[in-house]
Amino acid sequence: MEALTGWWDDYAWGSLVVAKVFLTSIGLMVLFGLIGAGAKLSNIRIAQKLAGAYTVIFRGTPEILVILLLYFGSAIALTSITQMFDPEVKFVDVPPFWAGTFAIAIIVGSYATETFRGAFLGVSPGSIEAARALGMSPLQTFIYIRIPEMWRIALPPFGNHMLSLIKDTALISIIGLNETLFVAKQAIATTNKPFTMYIFVGLIYLAFSSAITLSVMGLEKFGKRTTEGAR
Amino acid sequence: MSFDLYLIVESVPLMLSGIGITLKLLVISAFLGLLLAILLLLMRISGKWYLDWPAQVYIYVFRGTPILVQIFIVYYGFPQFEFIRDSIFWPILREPAGCAIVALSLNTGAYVSEILRGGVLGVGKGLLEAGSALGMSARQKFIYITTPIAVRLALPAYSNDVISLLKSTALASTITIADMTGIARTIVAETYAPYEIFISMAIIYMAFTWVLQKSFGLIEGYLGRYAKREA
Repeated sequence: MEALTGWWDDYAWGSLVVAKVFLTSIGLMVLFGLIGAGAKLSNIRIAQKLAGAYTVIFRGTPEILVILLLYFGSAIALTSITQMFDPEVKFVDVPPFWAGTFAIAIIVGSYATETFRGAFLGVSPGSIEAARALGMSPLQTFIYIRIPEMWRIALPPFGNHMLSLIKDTALISIIGLNETLFVAKQAIATTNKPFTMYIFVGLIYLAFSSAITLSVMGLEKFGKRTTEGAR
Repeated sequence: MSFDLYLIVESVPLMLSGIGITLKLLVISAFLGLLLAILLLLMRISGKWYLDWPAQVYIYVFRGTPILVQIFIVYYGFPQFEFIRDSIFWPILREPAGCAIVALSLNTGAYVSEILRGGVLGVGKGLLEAGSALGMSARQKFIYITTPIAVRLALPAYSNDVISLLKSTALASTITIADMTGIARTIVAETYAPYEIFISMAIIYMAFTWVLQKSFGLIEGYLGRYAKREA
């Protein structure tokens, strides 16, 4: 444990990076998931096909390949675009933060697509009919009926998606993001205590995933507060 | 930026030469992980707290930390200790492939045991009561009633886990193993053609996933052949 002295602040900064990646990627993941679900539920054939391809591609490809492709691929693309305007430029560097965050958000978004679609279809038709009978407009139905029912259905799988996101942030260290696993690598180079350092990284991730699990449990309880008493 | 078709033709056979290692990692880890999962499941449903708790902690820790961290702990971390280097496990833990198999098996075991538990809990109470009425012992009920039904119930989720195990084997490339992803990364480092190489690599993985999905679909159809007739 004494090997960790002097590395606490580095790990703290690394954890902050993990939290930043996590929060950014949640937003993007929800966005990709909603777009995907919207496309799958729409009546447009091409949109359905594209969303279908999206889910098949990113569920069948290893995460590390997507991260590497996005990182190196976007660097090459950006370089050639910049060279069109300024031929002097040799190479454009893409920040690993954005390449990695996008990559894991796209991957987990492909799973979220199915979750959101399922939640939309899971709203009972009776509730919708009741809302219509009360004279609610489609927008009102969506806000007061669909969303409250949908988030309850989507919450348990959404919790799993958040856990996948937090665990996938570790992969971004491969392209050089200075999160906890990357900090551990540097710490090992000077202390030569790989077990201690990596176990500590594991504990940090365990703390993150425990926090997520507990908040999802709390939210689930909150969501059930009206139905539980009725029984 | 151009898409070099010749490079793809040249490198696909190279990448496919790593399929043996990918398959080896997948099959051995899936097998060992399944054994571990069955052990954990029996501990969970034993009804004895001193067996149940350690299994729960194990599952919690291995599902709450990134697989990459687990691989690094086994590969870089374990050799920190003299007693591990002197132990009989050293011939396995000395090899990167051995470490990858150990880490992947430990990881997948935690996930699969929860899948199996879901299957066991899904077995109808009436069936077990019928077993008791026929004078079956607890062991007989588990072998003749619970197991066949639980296997059928757990199979769809299990096939998903095997597919995510396949994707996890790609992480073996981070500890110098020349599996398909490892070879692809080497080629990209030499040619700097991430689009050509990583996209064709992704297609190969998708084909692999498809084959796995179809095979599990066939097994599911076979196991469900009695249930289908009733419907």
